[in-house]
Order: sequence, then C-alpha cells, then structure tokens
Amino acid sequence: MSITTNLNAGERRRWQHAWDLLTVLVERDLKILYKRSSLGFGWALVTPLVQLLIFSFIFHRVLAIEIENYASFVFIGVLVFGWFQTSLGQSSAMITGNRALVTQPGFPLTLLPHVMVAVRFFHFAIAMPILFALLWSGGIRPGWSWLSLPVLVGVQYLLIVGLSYPLASINVIYRDTQHIVGVALQMMMFVTPVFYSLEKVMPEQARWFYLNPMVGLLESWRSVLLNDAWPDPRMIGALLTLGIVLLVLGRKLFVRQSHLFAEEL
Amino acid sequence: MKPIIIADRVGKEFSRCPVRGNWRSLVTRSETRSVPETLWALRDVSFEVFPGEMLGIVGANGAGKSTVLRLLGGVGRPTTGSMRTDGRIGALLELGGGFQGDLSGRENAVLGAVVAGLLKREAIDRLPEIIRFADLEGFIDSPVRTYSTGMAMRLAFSVAVHTDPDIMLVDEFLSVGDIAFQAKCTDRISALREGGCAIVFVSHGMDQVRELCDRALWLRRGIVMACDTAKAVAASYEQEMHAETLRRTPGFSPRLTSRGNELRLGENRFGSLEMEVTRAILRPAGTLAAGTPLEVEIQYHADHAMISPVFVVSISRPDGTVCLDVNTEVARVALDAVKGGGGIRLVIDRIDLVPGDYFVDVGVFASDWSHAYDYHWHVYRLTVTGGNRNKGILAPPCHWLLANPSS
Repeated sequence: MSITTNLNAGERRRWQHAWDLLTVLVERDLKILYKRSSLGFGWALVTPLVQLLIFSFIFHRVLAIEIENYASFVFIGVLVFGWFQTSLGQSSAMITGNRALVTQPGFPLTLLPHVMVAVRFFHFAIAMPILFALLWSGGIRPGWSWLSLPVLVGVQYLLIVGLSYPLASINVIYRDTQHIVGVALQMMMFVTPVFYSLEKVMPEQARWFYLNPMVGLLESWRSVLLNDAWPDPRMIGALLTLGIVLLVLGRKLFVRQSHLFAEEL
Repeated sequence: MKPIIIADRVGKEFSRCPVRGNWRSLVTRSETRSVPETLWALRDVSFEVFPGEMLGIVGANGAGKSTVLRLLGGVGRPTTGSMRTDGRIGALLELGGGFQGDLSGRENAVLGAVVAGLLKREAIDRLPEIIRFADLEGFIDSPVRTYSTGMAMRLAFSVAVHTDPDIMLVDEFLSVGDIAFQAKCTDRISALREGGCAIVFVSHGMDQVRELCDRALWLRRGIVMACDTAKAVAASYEQEMHAETLRRTPGFSPRLTSRGNELRLGENRFGSLEMEVTRAILRPAGTLAAGTPLEVEIQYHADHAMISPVFVVSISRPDGTVCLDVNTEVARVALDAVKGGGGIRLVIDRIDLVPGDYFVDVGVFASDWSHAYDYHWHVYRLTVTGGNRNKGILAPPCHWLLANPSS
C-alpha cells in the first residue's frame, strides 16, 4: 500500500493545503518584489553580478590572488553565501513583517520560514545558468559528481530554515535581534572563504573555520563544480545532522513562542 | 448536537506595559521586568456556540470583545481555562489587511482564499462567484492599490464568505459598503448559518444584535455581565448605557466644547453649580406625532441672583445631528436677574421632524457664553411618531402637484 492511501483524507488535505499556501505565498513575494520594476527578475541577477565584478577586479587583477578559474570560484561563493545571507537577514523580520498572516485564524506560522527561504532559493536558482556559462567558458564540463548538487541544496535549505526559526522567534521579543543578525552576517562573509581560499589560511587556524557550517558547504560546492570531486560524505553527514538538529529544536522554540507573536505585534 | 465552540472559564492576562525588550534588559534587570504590571482582559468567561447559531458579543470599548475573537481564532492562548473550537475558522476582522496593493484583485482573491483555508484549485473554482458577489467584474485585473476602500472591503468580505468556514468571526461587518451591499452581506451570513456555520459577531449596534443573533454575551471589563437571548441582553445593555449617560451629565457635553466654551467641570456639576437646571419637562409627552406642538419647560434654581443667563434648548438625533438649536439670547428674551426657583418654557408650534428617536438637551449659560451653569445632555428622550417614512430630517406638511404643461 502506498503512503498516500494510508493517510486519511483530512491529513492529505492538510499537506496539500500547506503546499498550496507555500506556492501562493512564494509567488506573492516574488511578484511584489519585481512587478513594478522595469528590469523585473533581472534585478535578482544584479547583486551577484556586481559582487562578481568587484571581487574579480580587486582580488584577481589588483591583488593578484592566484586561484584557477577565479571568476567561477568567486561566483559559487557569492551565490551560495548570498542565499544564506539574504535569507537569514530577512528571517528575523519574518513575523513582525507579516502581521496579517500572523493574526489570521488557523494560519500555520511554521510555514513562514519555508516561504522566505524558498523565495531566496529562487533567486539563487535563476543565477545558476550564469554560473554554468562561466564554468563552461573556463573549460569545465559537467561530471557525475554533479548529481550530488541537489543534496547540497537540501542540506543548505535545512540549515537556513533551522536557523531562521529561532531568529524569528527571538526578534519578536527582542527587536534588536534583526540588527545584530545584520552585523553578524556581514562579519560572517569574511570568515567564510567567499573570495579567498582556505588553502591560504594556516592549517591550525583553518580548523576553527569549520565551526562555521558555511565553510564545509562552500567547499563541497566548489569541489563538485570545479574539480568534479564528490563531496566528503563525513562533512555532508555532519552538516545534515546539524541541519536536522537545528530544525527540530528551532521549530520547537518557534512553536512554543508562537502564541506570543500576535500579542507582541 | 454538540457545541462547536466551548469556552470554559477563559481568562486572559496581558502585561500592561508590553515587554518591549531589548538586549540590555536581559543584562541589567530593569524594574519593569521584575514587577510585571498586568491586566486581566478576560476573567472566567464561559459560553458555548452550536453549529448554525449566531452569538453576539456586546460591550464598551476595552471590554474584551476583540480578545475573545482573537482567542477563538487561535491567535494567542488563554492564560487560564480553555477555548475549544472544532473546524475551520474564517474571519471578518481586519478586512483587507492582508491585501497587497501591487497585485491584482484576482491574485489577491486567490491568495486570500488559500490563506483562509481553501486549496488553490478550490479557490480558482470559486473565483467567478467571489468576483460577482463583490461586484468587481470590471476591475478584477487592476492592482488593488487602485481600488477605493469600499471596493477593497467588498473583495475582502466576498473572499471570506466564500471559504466554507465552520466558524465565522465577525467584527462589525455591516459597515462594509453601501446599503445594497450590506443587505447582500446579511443574506450571505444567513445562508452560511443555514449551512451549519456558527457565527460570533461583535457589535455596538443593539438593533443588529436583536435582528441577527440568537443569543448574546455582554462583557464589561472582561467579566460576563449577561449571557442570554439576544433580546434580553440588548435590553439590559441599553438600560445600563442610559444610566451611564445620566451619571455623566452634565460634565461631558460635547456641545460645550464645540461652541468653544470653557468646560468647567466644577461649575456645571456637583455643589458648586451657580445655577441649576433642576429638570426639564416635555409637554404633552416624550412621545408625540409629527406635526403636533411641543413645549419644553426648563425648571431652574439659583441661590444667588444671576445676571442675564441664557437658556438653551436643542434637539438632536442619537447620531449627533442637531435638528434644532435655539436660545433666549438670539430670541432677545430679556432676563435681567434670576434668583430662586422658576421655570421657562419654549413653545414649538409644530414638530416637523421625521419619525424617530431624538434627544432634547437643555441648559443654562453665563450671559457671555463663557461657560455653562448647567447643562443636561442626552437626558430627555423625544420620540416622534407618524406614518411618514421619508429620509432626511424634516417632515413638514407637503404635497406633490403635477404642473400643467406650458402652452
């Protein structure tokens, strides 16, 4: 017997409804962002492209950092870290900025982080063709290890959602959180090898870098795309575990706090 | 039949100064955190609602009506007791609050319906009906930011009533749109009830409560004053409102301030009244037919001689529209000095007002209008009867004549 027939009708309807909600809300957010701008979704590409230009110019031309395929190298960093950064930057204001939904009877609040992370993933995804073009022009062709990319996306998705639950709940009570998160993300950009390589860091110090989950994730992306090497399964296992633990605990905190949300708005 | 809503001794406590926390307060124990000042918005509130039933909730502002709606909607949790609901809950609360101005009416309608609990497929199926009900056929693809407030409210209402809720929470919905649309709303609400939907309706209008609700719950400062048939609760609520008005007279007469006169509580209330209006009498009675005469007698008392006081009589409708406002100064009635007890009468030859309820306000002012000696505001009720159902304020004798075509 398949799983779907095991679920009773009410349960199935709930899942279907959650999925429909997710899609209409993601659609809403994307439309609002770009509906009235002349460039439309093109704007989603502007930020990563500008970052790519700046980093290539400063670090490659001016400082002459020697990394093979530097443009692709940097662009992977910009996109992967960008997804993480923009999602978390918005996550703290997720409850406070969605008053109407929070006060809607029966609205499943736990869906909100998924909406936000999915919207940011969409931005990540539409920049992918440019990345593939860069890789192609650098002489890189798809390999078998690329099959692991969906796993990397999934792990990163879990990590971001897992972190946004607690951030959103804390920000409802301590509004300073969103500013602190903004500063922390800015700093994090420098301790994540977005535009440099960990090989240049002293090995004793490099160990500490791995406490930052984005470091392992970024390395996996690069090893797959630039060297067609399968990511380190221990690394992926550790990140996946971390993501699940964060998600379970963060969601618990979020649900426990959620009855306070409407009162604090 | 089982109740669909069971509120069992529900209490809700709010902190009076909401903990607008910052990180500093975590480190340095601030006083407000250690001594939380709280307020019970609801105390021991119990009620049940059955499918197909409509419960009205009445009470003054701050009585806890909205808190009940919020708790019913699962937004927030009772501090004590329990609030149990069964089934999907729809809400007509902040109508249009979730609309996105840049999206079209159609996009907002689908979004609103899915947020309210429909599947996307169901929402799209119902869209034509939603649009037709809201009367927005020609505008549905324009962005909602171009809508008037009324159009946006109509759309929001239409979406909410087309989502098949088992319980509907309504906050003063009949203020949506024009009279025709309001009638449609009332019909739709009745149709929902016939389909078994339970409705909880917060209202200030006792007539609406009497007309629409089966039962009513009256809250005062979070405590249940009465929970009975709508008629009984509406009657006792109105009685209480009237008593409250009496208690407040003459301290807060809005006319005093609107005239720009000084509102001196010490002089037009209690003991220190320089001159008192002891009472006013409406003759022949407080209820009379349109077109008949009315006499208003003001009885007064002055301990000391008052120089040229000005007596005032005004007739206004409960909504504040002033229909008549006369005084002895404009009428050039010479009152040199008034001392002791006495009376003054205003004779109105005909009351040519449309049938309805009015208030007769009476007062006596200092000769320079600087302040009131005494003023009775909304104390004396006047009911005008008659078969004439015209709109407007005036009902003078009038008739139509066909003019002969000019030749």
